[in-house]
Amino acid sequence: MANYLDGKVAIVTGSGRGIGAGVAKALAGEGAKVIVNDIGAALDGEGLSNTPAEQVVDEIKSFGGEAVPDYTDISTMEGGESVVQTAVDTYGQLDIVVTVAGILRDRMIFNMTEEEWDDVVRVHLKGTFTVCKHAAILYRQQRSGRIVTFASESGLFGNTGQGNYAAAKSGIAGFTKVAAKDLGRYGVTANSICPRANTRMTQSVPDSARQLRADRPQDREATPKELAMHPDDIGPFVAYLSSDQAASINGQTFLVYDGVITKLSLPRRIRTIFKQGRWTTEELLEMVPQNLTQGLVNPSPPQAPRQ
Amino acid sequence: MGDLLKDKVAVVTGSGRGIGRGIALKLADEGAKVVVNDLGGAVDGTGDSATPADEVVNEIKASGGEAVANYDSVTTMDGGENIIKTALDSFGKLDIVVAVAGILRDRMLFNMTEQEWDDVISVHLKGTFTVSKAASILFRQQRSGRIITFSSTSGLYGNSGQANYGAAKDGIAGFTRAVARDLGRYGVTVNSISPGANSRMTETVPQSARDIRASSGIQANSAVTPLELNRDPEDVAPMVAWLVSDEASEVNGHVFHCQGGQISLMSNPTEERTLRKNGRWSVEEIDAMFSGTIGMDMVNPAPPQAPRE
Repeated sequence: MANYLDGKVAIVTGSGRGIGAGVAKALAGEGAKVIVNDIGAALDGEGLSNTPAEQVVDEIKSFGGEAVPDYTDISTMEGGESVVQTAVDTYGQLDIVVTVAGILRDRMIFNMTEEEWDDVVRVHLKGTFTVCKHAAILYRQQRSGRIVTFASESGLFGNTGQGNYAAAKSGIAGFTKVAAKDLGRYGVTANSICPRANTRMTQSVPDSARQLRADRPQDREATPKELAMHPDDIGPFVAYLSSDQAASINGQTFLVYDGVITKLSLPRRIRTIFKQGRWTTEELLEMVPQNLTQGLVNPSPPQAPRQ
Repeated sequence: MGDLLKDKVAVVTGSGRGIGRGIALKLADEGAKVVVNDLGGAVDGTGDSATPADEVVNEIKASGGEAVANYDSVTTMDGGENIIKTALDSFGKLDIVVAVAGILRDRMLFNMTEQEWDDVISVHLKGTFTVSKAASILFRQQRSGRIITFSSTSGLYGNSGQANYGAAKDGIAGFTRAVARDLGRYGVTVNSISPGANSRMTETVPQSARDIRASSGIQANSAVTPLELNRDPEDVAPMVAWLVSDEASEVNGHVFHCQGGQISLMSNPTEERTLRKNGRWSVEEIDAMFSGTIGMDMVNPAPPQAPRE
């Protein structure tokens, strides 16, 4: 056990399995007391079980760490408030919130049901809001605190069959940039991680979807490479962001996998046309293809209909 | 009147006022038949009135264009379907969807209510989904179509007091990039506009919020800058008209910032700096390496301030 987070109290949502479990163990390994929050649902959000959170707590205790399980559904305001309350009731304070909880319901946009949309947006995006909002109330009063959220390359770069997930994950990136600006003045930081890891969630992506993505070279960059990518590789950097050493790192997005930690930029204006006043259609017909959109690659070019 | 969009049929949500209205007028002026959708609500989403959509329809007809009004809410699946169905019932087909409808409920994160969060996510993000989904069923069958969504620099860069709006607007950018990949193979394009315009919506941002942003260095100064003055909501429309035309068939999955006479292609986030080792990092190793490498020159967008006395 190391001591970067000695005396700190952390909540990690969705930490019964996968990346969340790795984060909970990494924070506990650095001395933090951890609320291991997980409703223990199946990947599609169905069913509930206390076992995953309890197993992670047992693992943390086995190496001398401190942790308690929590089974609250963070997708409601009451749930978000309750998990924050659990930290305060159990350990008397809260310093760190890491929101990992998420589900996957991939579907092409033209077939996506309302439920598939609502469930994914609710667990990821609202679930990030509910916990962070209640933590923010405490953080503002105590003038310190850390928030680490989980975005995704699927949202930042786009991935077939994930209109709901991309919206939620990109939404979390936007949320985090705002939270950083709302809370920074109070000594709080909010940063976002885009992880690559092989977990239960990525294993659920159907082979047909993988093949579809692999067939399109433009998309390969946005598709996680099937390497080692152990989910426990994400934890150490989250622990660092949660530490006092990272006090001035705020509003950033990082891509993390294996031994790689990359700072991602904000979007940039890469080409601009400008005139005084409003453009006419005739002007744009000439200017846009020459100056704005020349050489752009269609990530999903038109294909002939199947016979 | 031009003929860039002759014989096309377009739906523009939230087009009773502001940026949406400018787009409806412009698309009609280029020959498109337009469904002017607007619930006619106040900026905070309360109330409804048929008047704004009707007024825009009258304006389009007065200049020789074709348009019908629709008052459905984009926030339900039924509403999204009805809006698309209005295009089919009135004009026999659908070629273009522009999703502008939005509301604003600014609040600092620690004070934001569930209602303020839900309402903003529902109108912007789900409202973009409901209409796009219903349209995509048609677009896939006919192997053509255009979707334009509306993002915002508030989401792309973050703006204090807009956790709900920033989440919704960056969410729309992500949605756009994913759906562009779902639909591109069917000859459909999906792009997003991040507009800068003075409209009824921006006027609701309280002076106190502008002052807070200015004092924390988030905004250059609290006064409206000359560039901000020069951004009529109608200035956004010409680029939208270009993007929904046949000329733009290869442009798919991008975000464009439009403000006054300025139009920019936005990049996706790019990999700026990387720390790399074989195997898993320890926190100690990251601590030793970070500040001198990828942490160099990192600026806190809202540095800590001393408590007020």
